[in-house]
Amino acid sequence: MEQQFSLTSEIQDNCLVIATSGYVNNVGGEAIAEEFNRHFENGIKQVVVNLAGSKVVNSIGMSFLIEIIEKLNEVDGKLVFTNLDPTVEKMLTIMGIFKFAGKEATVENGVKSFARQT
Amino acid sequence: MNREVTLRLALPKIPDIELVAVEGLAHLGRHLGIADEQIGEAKIIVTEAIINAFEHTVGENPVVKVKFVMTKKELVIFVRDYGKGFEPESVEDPNIEDKIGSTRKRGWGLKLMKSLSDGFHIESGNWGTKITITKRLS
Repeated sequence: MEQQFSLTSEIQDNCLVIATSGYVNNVGGEAIAEEFNRHFENGIKQVVVNLAGSKVVNSIGMSFLIEIIEKLNEVDGKLVFTNLDPTVEKMLTIMGIFKFAGKEATVENGVKSFARQT
Repeated sequence: MNREVTLRLALPKIPDIELVAVEGLAHLGRHLGIADEQIGEAKIIVTEAIINAFEHTVGENPVVKVKFVMTKKELVIFVRDYGKGFEPESVEDPNIEDKIGSTRKRGWGLKLMKSLSDGFHIESGNWGTKITITKRLS
């Protein structure tokens, strides 16, 4: 069964990289938002969310990600998803999330994508 | 041969109980030799259906009943709650442009279930809600 949610975060090239593990439900989504907010207050505007360890997510968890995307939009920042399971990618596509967020195959590519923009 | 397996569950309202159904689904799939990747979209459908069902369910001991009927070719998902019901026709299709800037970011369940399924039927009234979803597996 999908394990309990946990996350790690680090800063790479002025970009916040959050890696999740386990089910991204309301609790997981809120934890991601809290971690983001902590760094957002310190001026972070570039975020990579690595979902390699999360094969099951739900729309309530993803609604917290939409909140993050909205906050980043307001400051010309951006969120990029990486390491997406094909099913999760399809879900995010149906929700239209990639109209406002990016996706890359790997964290490395995600971080590099910001460098290309600046 | 088109072997059919059935799983019935009565789920109490406890955190992450939808994962029990998702695991049951995966177990049926493995039993029939269906790869996990082939039932990935069904897992999302089931997760969203059960979360939605509990959102409509009230009372001291809410229960959501789930039934899966699976063959190698097709999965039929039945989800039944005993809540207050709702008018499915009155639920607006959410879109991301409206959600950005809105205080309500949720409300994606029905859209996801419909988009990911090959057949979707819903009946709802003051007796609760019944959803029947068909998903092709091959």
